[in-house]
Amino acid sequence: MIDPRWWWRGAVVLAIAALVHLAALWALPRWIMARVLAGVQAEAGAGSGVMLPPPADHTQRRIVLPSPDLLYALCRYDVGARPLRVRAEPRTGQYWSIALYAANADNFFVLNDGQTAGRAPDLLIVGPDAGPVNAAPSAAAVRSPSARGLVLMRLLATGGDDDTAAAALAAAEAARRTLRCEPG
Amino acid sequence: MRRGLLSALLLVTAGLALGLASAWWSVKRVPGLGASAAGGPWRVSPLAGSPEADLHTRARVALGGLLALSRREAVYYLAQHDSNGAPLRSRCTYRVGGPVPQARWWSVTAYADDLFLFDTGGSRRHGVSSAQAGSDGRFAFLSAPRPPAAGGPLPWLPTPGDRGLVFVLRLYQPGPAAFVPPRIELQGACP
Repeated sequence: MIDPRWWWRGAVVLAIAALVHLAALWALPRWIMARVLAGVQAEAGAGSGVMLPPPADHTQRRIVLPSPDLLYALCRYDVGARPLRVRAEPRTGQYWSIALYAANADNFFVLNDGQTAGRAPDLLIVGPDAGPVNAAPSAAAVRSPSARGLVLMRLLATGGDDDTAAAALAAAEAARRTLRCEPG
Repeated sequence: MRRGLLSALLLVTAGLALGLASAWWSVKRVPGLGASAAGGPWRVSPLAGSPEADLHTRARVALGGLLALSRREAVYYLAQHDSNGAPLRSRCTYRVGGPVPQARWWSVTAYADDLFLFDTGGSRRHGVSSAQAGSDGRFAFLSAPRPPAAGGPLPWLPTPGDRGLVFVLRLYQPGPAAFVPPRIELQGACP
């Protein structure tokens, strides 16, 4: 006959384990994203707030599965106090997208070249608790589910041979430098 | 009193250890984005990057595919085994090929088992993409640590060293057609 106190102790251990299990799963993506956001802030240009990492190779070890076919431009945001306006003029003739990630790493919004009908992308990111938005006529308002998050622009920078690949890389490089993340 | 405090401390410590260990095990049990079979050796996580992702999927993606796009924009297929079920090794030679995937743009990239790119000595040959697809509606390439002697016209992806190998197939703006898994076939003996 097992002492009933052991059943009680086992139940306590399992209850604590279940809570810790769920808390760890909840916290892990937020902790990783916080590290990424801190890195972007540290390495972003002082004026533009935009980080322009070099083309992916074996030395890029911050974010797993980097795509060697894309160039990236990133900026972090904190729209707790005021919105952020995101603009760019990516005229590359190839695929590009601007993706927004919440503090828990969810990709809650994407705008790609096929959706803009040739117009320059112009977004106003507002916080989860922001009131009615008075965006500029050209800007599309996007409500972020968290105050902090990440703007990630992807630009296809590859071609079928060395010449077209070099031209695509140059076009993507010029296009990503047009990304602006400024207070809205 | 003191004995009761020690007992409570032991229970809390055991709960903490068990909770952290089970969380780590559940996240690392299926490494990378792999969550469900997609055909052949390829696995896919339909909710990667999505706000609808559950706690486990979100944690797995944070470790193995951070900043993935949601399925509407891109789908990521991941293979860690060949089409016969054997684990992929960088020292072996593989032929990867199949019908051109239906998507606005696609690529297959070779990664080491830490999910970062191989050191290819300055070459940019990490993968193949839409840009290199043949006009016959099919694609193929070879991966091997050294240039294959009988590779013919197929593109070669260097996979130096002797370690685990992972292929990632990306489909950007995937079409409505059903996914046809590319085959991953070992070429010759693996030294």
